[in-house]
Amino acid sequence: MDKLTREQVMHVAYLARINLEEDDIEKYRVQLKKLIDDIDKIKDIKNYDEELLISPIEHNTNLREDVVGQMLDYKEVIKNAPNSNGNFVEVPVMINE
Amino acid sequence: MSKYLDLSLKEINKLLKDKKIKPIDLVEEAFENIEKNKDINSFITLDKENAFKVAKELENKEVDNLLFGIPIAIKDNICTKNLRTTCASKMLENFIPNYDATVVEKIKSKNMIIIGKTNMDEFAMGSTSRTSYFGAPKNPWNKKRIAGGSSGGSASCISSRIVPFALGSDTGGSIRQPASYCGIVGMKPTYGRISRYGLVAFGSSLDQIGPMTRNVYENAELLNILCGKDEKDLTSIDKEKEDFTSLINTDIKGMNIAIPKYFVTDIVEKEVLDKFNEIVEILKEKGCNIEYIDIDYIENAVTLYQIIAMGEASSNLARFDGIRYGYSYENPQNLEELYTKTRQFGFGDEVKRRIMVGSFILSGENAKIYYDKALKIRDDIRKSFLKAFKKFDLIIGPTTTTVAYDLESNLDDPSKTFLDDILVIPVNMAGLPGLNVPIGFSKDKMPIGLHIIGNAFDEKTIYKLASSIEKTLDLNLDPRGEKNE
Repeated sequence: MDKLTREQVMHVAYLARINLEEDDIEKYRVQLKKLIDDIDKIKDIKNYDEELLISPIEHNTNLREDVVGQMLDYKEVIKNAPNSNGNFVEVPVMINE
Repeated sequence: MSKYLDLSLKEINKLLKDKKIKPIDLVEEAFENIEKNKDINSFITLDKENAFKVAKELENKEVDNLLFGIPIAIKDNICTKNLRTTCASKMLENFIPNYDATVVEKIKSKNMIIIGKTNMDEFAMGSTSRTSYFGAPKNPWNKKRIAGGSSGGSASCISSRIVPFALGSDTGGSIRQPASYCGIVGMKPTYGRISRYGLVAFGSSLDQIGPMTRNVYENAELLNILCGKDEKDLTSIDKEKEDFTSLINTDIKGMNIAIPKYFVTDIVEKEVLDKFNEIVEILKEKGCNIEYIDIDYIENAVTLYQIIAMGEASSNLARFDGIRYGYSYENPQNLEELYTKTRQFGFGDEVKRRIMVGSFILSGENAKIYYDKALKIRDDIRKSFLKAFKKFDLIIGPTTTTVAYDLESNLDDPSKTFLDDILVIPVNMAGLPGLNVPIGFSKDKMPIGLHIIGNAFDEKTIYKLASSIEKTLDLNLDPRGEKNE
């Protein structure tokens, strides 16, 4: 990659849902450029097969029986939520504009 | 204070069986060791109260297996019920899992005693454990140097003889590389050998849990209880139960061993290479047939790893949104701000870099250019390894290109952390088992390791060679300078 622009950095930060402060943008621009230069080396590799390796080991997809089994306790799960209300996980109001 | 934990596993087991000691004696000793080695920073969370409680309960139970009552440390990306699991991240600083990983269930079913959670690189991303939110663990052989990573806490706690057993995880060398830097035995088993249920996912097609121990035999004994098909992990494999210790200390004469030419080029520091070559000579003397071979695309493995691991990480870490668990940005203006600022302040720099590059790799047309192509070449690497295993029993090389380096060096280069794992990453690409066994020391007394790679599901043969080398060299691997009696 010839150049990684400020806009491109902000775009990948948006895709990754990571907020960047003004000071961070240039720092990450330099660091991400270096990593993208590394992965760009793949473009020069030739003479490979067309088969994709999805899993390194061959295995059958054996689905278990669709029967009700032991589940995690509801109250225990809710305990880890930063904000909860009764049996519900609380999030900020979404429809306010 | 008696040093029971310095005894061999079989000796400790006999003392427990004969009721000359109790599990609580071992737990007490483990926590004394932790106190003595506080500066090494191997642990993020200790489970002292519960460990003593479990030890007390075991006094009424029959010593029914070799691992009964033995203390063990767990890497902090493996979920432990009611015991904080942080992944060395601010994001999970207060996360308390409400279930055990399958490996933890197995450990508990054998009545091993979990004493705490070990330090690591944040979300296992790194090769030095310096990306830990809780500060880097140190190398017991020289406390100014890195322990390696990402399982640096597990490696340093075994090396400093705090406990005899630990679990690590290995996505691109994270068990074998710190094992090499700290002078211990670390095994990354075949992908699918051990359930990943409860291991916080990083690169799902690469991650594998494995045992980290003081010696080869004890490593095989721990692997014996960890593996098996788990209906909670579709990628775990159903295999007939076998005893991984069964070939230990058997004759290695006539074994066919390959060395990839790439593993002995000038990417490896001379001192490490010289030590490796000494081992090759020993193996020849013992009647092994050694040949130098080519593995296709092996020199491209780091590039493939960067693409596959960062791509998969960006997807796996999307779950950290500040809503269901983990750190949450306070008083956000809206949902989008909750996501983006939770991730801004919850993740460290290395993790954010990898998520952003991973998002770049998987976005739009890039997925074909980078990710799909990486998977195609990954298939070629795997086929090339499997072809080699039609002729050879094992493949060997140095585990790392250098010995452990200074804690303060190489901090500014985001690529360096990947290059530390250049010799171990190809194994994760092919899903094969690989093990580090110590083979000696550098001039400045830092451990050097041998990497032994086996065919898929042939961990037994790896242990066979490793045990022979271990026995022949009979190294003093105790950084305290005392020979284990």
